[in-house]
Amino acid sequence: MIKINIQKKLTSAKGEMLLNIDTSIEKGSLVTLYGKSGAGKTTILRTLGGLLKPDNGKIIVDNTTWYNSEQSINLKPQKRNVGFVFQDYALFPNMTVKENLEFALEKKQSPKIITELIELIELGELQNRKPETLSGGQKQRVALARALVKKPTILMLDEPLSALDYEIRFKLQQHILQVHNEYNLTTILISHDISEILRMSNQLIELDEGKIIREGKPSEVFNIKEYNAKFQFTGTIINIEKQGFIYILMVRIGKDIVKIVADETEGKQLLIGDNILISAKAFNPIINKIN
Amino acid sequence: MIDWEPLILTFKLAFITTILLLVIAIPLAYWLAYTKSKFKAIIETLVSMPLVLPPTVIGFYLLVAFSPSNAFGNWLDELFGLRLVFSFEGLIIGSIIYSLPFMVHPIQSGFSNLPKSLVEMSAILGKSTSTTLFKVLLPNIRPSLLTGIVLAFAHTIGEFGVVLMIGGNIPGKTKVASIAIYDEVEALNYSLANSYSLILFGLTFCILLIVYLINGGYFKQFYK
Amino acid sequence: MNTLKGTINSLTISGNLTLIGIKVGHINMSAIVIDTPKTAPYLTVENSISVIFKETEVILAKGNTDLISMRNKIKGVIEKIISEELLSKIIIKSSVGNITSIITTNAVKQLELKIGDEVTAMIKTNEIMLSE
Repeated sequence: MIKINIQKKLTSAKGEMLLNIDTSIEKGSLVTLYGKSGAGKTTILRTLGGLLKPDNGKIIVDNTTWYNSEQSINLKPQKRNVGFVFQDYALFPNMTVKENLEFALEKKQSPKIITELIELIELGELQNRKPETLSGGQKQRVALARALVKKPTILMLDEPLSALDYEIRFKLQQHILQVHNEYNLTTILISHDISEILRMSNQLIELDEGKIIREGKPSEVFNIKEYNAKFQFTGTIINIEKQGFIYILMVRIGKDIVKIVADETEGKQLLIGDNILISAKAFNPIINKIN
Repeated sequence: MIDWEPLILTFKLAFITTILLLVIAIPLAYWLAYTKSKFKAIIETLVSMPLVLPPTVIGFYLLVAFSPSNAFGNWLDELFGLRLVFSFEGLIIGSIIYSLPFMVHPIQSGFSNLPKSLVEMSAILGKSTSTTLFKVLLPNIRPSLLTGIVLAFAHTIGEFGVVLMIGGNIPGKTKVASIAIYDEVEALNYSLANSYSLILFGLTFCILLIVYLINGGYFKQFYK
Repeated sequence: MNTLKGTINSLTISGNLTLIGIKVGHINMSAIVIDTPKTAPYLTVENSISVIFKETEVILAKGNTDLISMRNKIKGVIEKIISEELLSKIIIKSSVGNITSIITTNAVKQLELKIGDEVTAMIKTNEIMLSE
């Protein structure tokens, strides 16, 4: 269980802002921090990691106090046992992929974990390469593996997926889920992608201007019903046409635009610009191979 | 006949100065690059002073400070038996101060140009400041280190004013090549002055050329 | 969309697929999903569940439907018909609640559907979606 209760004055582009967070995270959950840029998401991760000191409050992880302003406790990052994947990956340029992982080993720790992680995150072919020769997705996988070497209690990922194209993104999502389960991690990540959040996380914390505005199960926070459907997408409505008692919706899903027929009951509550979740049974689609 | 002693002395001085400077400059540059202290500006200014101050000014103050007739010089003399005026040790201290910015600036900017996230990541991974410094930071600023070493070395070879003020002109002790050249010119011994000059010219040319070749024009930015 | 409340009363698993028998009121319905109790814990006998299907997937029949392959058949009485040029919306009152069907206006004419008619609404097993 992680208890976070912190206050910190921040200077953002819009002026001064008070970050005021009071929440708790169950052990083993996969939490997404969601919200506009500048809402304080990265600051929360950096504070948890010990890279930033709050002005006031407490951080208690599994009954160990990491930070307590009243008792003047502030554990150094070195003592906090967190894994962190930065947005810029922060791979050490002077070391190969394997050396980057080895650097993360603790004193007297068996190097067995390195071989294990190289296998799990499929870094075998990259292990002797220097970071500058890697693509964005590859760098990210290395950063993820390196963060796991010392078996952290909390894994934090700062927008791990935003810069990647869909295919690599999906692969990395799988890797994150895999290590999350394999190593019994409590994982906190920042994401803007609703379908990604629905697929991956079991707790959502939505922030605005340094405060939590919504919190809970992602489907509850976004107020959508969970279906068993396998053919499911999130999209944005770009046009609505009413035709008799049916509505024809034009929806942008990723880079594709699709048209969907909606019934009156569904259609009349929708507006252009709304984000929607579209579900269908997986039995319906007809498949054509593209050459 | 050419007297090799001033040349040997020059390179000995430059060599020792450079090594000591490296030891001093790395922690100083590290501090300057990462500190949030309000004294940063003052320290930075002090480090940079030798760039603009006439060498004779530095030499003069060092001479006054080290003189046994003054409190500091007297204290050094009584406690350590160290007399820094007109001695090789004094020359080393003078050279260190005089060449300090040439070593500190490249290293400091090397540190500052590295993403801050590298230091943070190393801390997250549980590594101490010294491990971070030796395993992560220094290996990634090799060009800056090389630039600092070479500039400090070459600059020490070329110094004159500071050396003359605190070292004087004692053969085998403080008479370095630049002073020897001045001496020979004074004595209208142009051919010997030319020999010394040519050797210094050739050697410094070679050193700088090697660095340019290695760093690919990297340190142009420090040599305006 | 049409939503009915029911209880799971049987599960038949084969590979990645599960055929689910659902009791909705007095009617037995069935749905097939690409999930197993392992991947979707809500697949448990006795669990209550929502049965969801789109209006356009509801087929209407008059008279005897015994020889039709559909597993989901709900008998009811037409309560309302809204006809447009191409499509018609028909609301059927049944023992498990109202069911809406959208079929072509031509079909309405051919079957001579009118308010008060007894009809059977039918949905294919693979068109039924489930939700907790």
